[in-house]
Amino acid sequence: MSETREKMPEEPKQPEDIRISRTREKVERAEEENQFVTFVIGEETYGVEVLRVQEIIGMTRITHVPNAMSFMKGVINLRGSVVPVVDMRTKFGMAERDYDAFTVIIIVEVRGRMIGMIVDSVSDVVNIPVRSIQDTPHFSAKIETDFIMGIGQVEEKLVIILDVDRIMSSEEMTELDRERTA
Amino acid sequence: MDDTRVLRDVFIREAADILASLESDLVRLEDEKAPELVNDIFRYVHTLKGSSGIAGFKSVYAFTHRLENLLDMVRSGKLAAGREIIDLLLVGLDWIRLAIDSGEEAPGLDEGREGLLKRVEAIIESTAPIPAEAPGGDAGPSEEEMDLGYRYFRIKAGFREDIFETGTDPLMIMEDLFSLGVVVERHTDRKRLPELSAMDPEKCYLGWNLVLKTKSPLQKIDEVFMFVRGDNPISVEDITAQYAISTEDPEIKEKRIGEILVAKGILTDVELNDALKTQDGENTRIGDLVVAKGYATEREVQFALGEQEKIRKRIETSTVRVDTGKLDKLLNLLGEIVIGQSAIAGIAEELDEERGFMLKNALYGLDRTTREFQEQIMSIRMIPIGPSFEQFRRFVRDTAHAHGKEIRLEIDGGETELDKTVIERIDDPLKHMIRNAIDHGIEPASEREAAGKDRNGTITLRSYHQEGNVYIDVVDDGRGIDKVKLRARAEQAGLLKPGEEASEAKLLSFLFLPGVSTAEEVGDLSGRGVGMDVVKNNIESLRGSVEITTRPGKGSTFRIKLPLTLAIIEGMLVRVGRNVYIVPLLSIVESLQPRKEDIRTVKEKGEVIQVRGEYVSLVRLYDLFGIEPEFRNPWESLVVIVEAAGSRVGMMIDELLGQQQIVIKSLENHITKSRAVSGAAILGDGRVALIIDIHGLIEEISR
Repeated sequence: MSETREKMPEEPKQPEDIRISRTREKVERAEEENQFVTFVIGEETYGVEVLRVQEIIGMTRITHVPNAMSFMKGVINLRGSVVPVVDMRTKFGMAERDYDAFTVIIIVEVRGRMIGMIVDSVSDVVNIPVRSIQDTPHFSAKIETDFIMGIGQVEEKLVIILDVDRIMSSEEMTELDRERTA
Repeated sequence: MDDTRVLRDVFIREAADILASLESDLVRLEDEKAPELVNDIFRYVHTLKGSSGIAGFKSVYAFTHRLENLLDMVRSGKLAAGREIIDLLLVGLDWIRLAIDSGEEAPGLDEGREGLLKRVEAIIESTAPIPAEAPGGDAGPSEEEMDLGYRYFRIKAGFREDIFETGTDPLMIMEDLFSLGVVVERHTDRKRLPELSAMDPEKCYLGWNLVLKTKSPLQKIDEVFMFVRGDNPISVEDITAQYAISTEDPEIKEKRIGEILVAKGILTDVELNDALKTQDGENTRIGDLVVAKGYATEREVQFALGEQEKIRKRIETSTVRVDTGKLDKLLNLLGEIVIGQSAIAGIAEELDEERGFMLKNALYGLDRTTREFQEQIMSIRMIPIGPSFEQFRRFVRDTAHAHGKEIRLEIDGGETELDKTVIERIDDPLKHMIRNAIDHGIEPASEREAAGKDRNGTITLRSYHQEGNVYIDVVDDGRGIDKVKLRARAEQAGLLKPGEEASEAKLLSFLFLPGVSTAEEVGDLSGRGVGMDVVKNNIESLRGSVEITTRPGKGSTFRIKLPLTLAIIEGMLVRVGRNVYIVPLLSIVESLQPRKEDIRTVKEKGEVIQVRGEYVSLVRLYDLFGIEPEFRNPWESLVVIVEAAGSRVGMMIDELLGQQQIVIKSLENHITKSRAVSGAAILGDGRVALIIDIHGLIEEISR
């Protein structure tokens, strides 16, 4: 009771306080950092928002699915769920490579469904300030710029931040499907 | 904000259940005129009213309030539940449904309500008192019946603060109430009671919430509050069913009839014990005994039996809603446990004999548990088909009336359990078959009478388990299917040559082909010759089948056979190269190793294989799936002859690995456009194997 009373006189000030805290919030948001899981495909480092990553597993036995798109490697058993896996090299139009001890499958969630991305190796979880993420420049990336959300910089390295929804959306896949049939 | 949202969602779900029950009860009321149905209906409407008010559906609340008034008159016997009232109530339900679904925003909602309310008023005004029933007549809830045994009423009584000014003393009212029975629960509402200093002695601050145990009917209690009800918040609710269980029998178990009789004050303990003593063996029923001993009347025992039934129903409905996704997850995890088990079993093989034996024994026990675990999870997915059947009552009634026919719907085996997905998908085919039965199965009343049959037709929906399958019969007692006419139609459609012999089964199977119908005139509802083929396809997609039997002048039976669940199939594991596939056992006819001379290439048909004089297309699975096989010559490999939708093909495989129960997992649509693959399963070693869809495979190769 007494505590509330003591605070009472301050109350009228509140609107102002809120305004101040809001501006502060704005400043903070620009300095806000997002976490990304980074991985390597070929010579480039890519990143995916950490919240989208369900888990990272080692290479496992993949069951081939007939008549699938070339980048769709097949399906795996993820603790009892059947999860499709995509070879990112094929997806990005790079040369295929044998899977080795470093090859991992990053399980991401796209619209409530799980999809695995096969990548050469996983490197780190990094913090990248939102401010330092730039929109896709028109540089000669090996991959379609549609998949890229932006480019971030970690120390001296560039990280290509991928938009998993774009890459893995079923619309995109149905479109591909249509192209193939046409 | 969010809370209201949740509240509304809960209400919408609850309302859907209530509306479904109401609908089926209303239709039953028309046929059976059972008094307890009126009470149930009244209670449903009352609940709907209460919850809609809480959830903020004001318009629904106001409307149900008026319906409740109307029903009250029916319940108290002032109105007879005739066709007019039932029609009105059914249309009323439609309105409520529309209002709830649209969030009270559908166009024309208000006009609809006003129209309906006018009809309600018209009925109430034109009420002619029900003709007094002949004494001994068995229809209608008689006072005597209501008076059997004790009933429990929850009474919530609040009073206006200024009630004393009207000269009414709540205390007198409460005392009146107490004279009717025993108060078994009492809460005094002191919320409005101010501090002593602020109290005005001429004001009433108290309210009561009590449960009265009494033999008096609701009417008597209502009379007590007659003069204060108008402007004071007072509610009286019959809670006998809940109360009897929640307080007297906290373990919610089935009550024995004797216990109910005692609880209701019809029998004393001494009388019951006496009756129990004389009960010899299980064959004598305690109910008969107490009647024979003169402790209770036949009627009282019947009443107790009714109560027992009600308690059973309450037990049945003490359920929890679970997202099926959670069940699937449970099943997935269980599958992983099984895989873990087989890994341990592998280790057990490597241990020394004694310890290996011990470990294997322990695993054997675990295996049994996991098996049962799986069965239990599967059984959660199973729900009784009853509610699905019930929803057809209204459909049958309305459709029959539209045709000027009187048709009764009988339901049998509503407790039969089926996989939820099957139930959801069987609705449409069933509806179609029922519509057919109404439209051209059952004859018009005049024709029926001429044939010496009951004027009213009967359609029976029956469900039962048999040999690991579920059967649903749609039976009508109509004119049967005219085979002569069917034959003519088939010839017309070019399915049969004139004079060609055809068995009854073959003739009837034409009914499922598009464009064949025996209805002479194309009806508004059916008879266009479309539909039965759709029905058949729908049922086959559930891995079921339909079969017709018919007797001229007696009626027809459509028998649907369905698998217990869609989640599990019996599968044959086959190997092609390094890949393992699953072939549904049901579609396998045989497997064989062909001789070189049995393989031919036929123009425009591709490769065929001769099986006992018949030619069957040969499918090179490795070609179709683009994989490396072990054998490329059919005479080295094995050929599995499979069948779907009447056609057969032979699939080339390398090896048969054995038969296994398979839990089906769906594949995302976008993974493959191949129709030959319909799902996947996880094998004992943790590998994923694809399930071959024979139907799709045959379609794919015939393209």
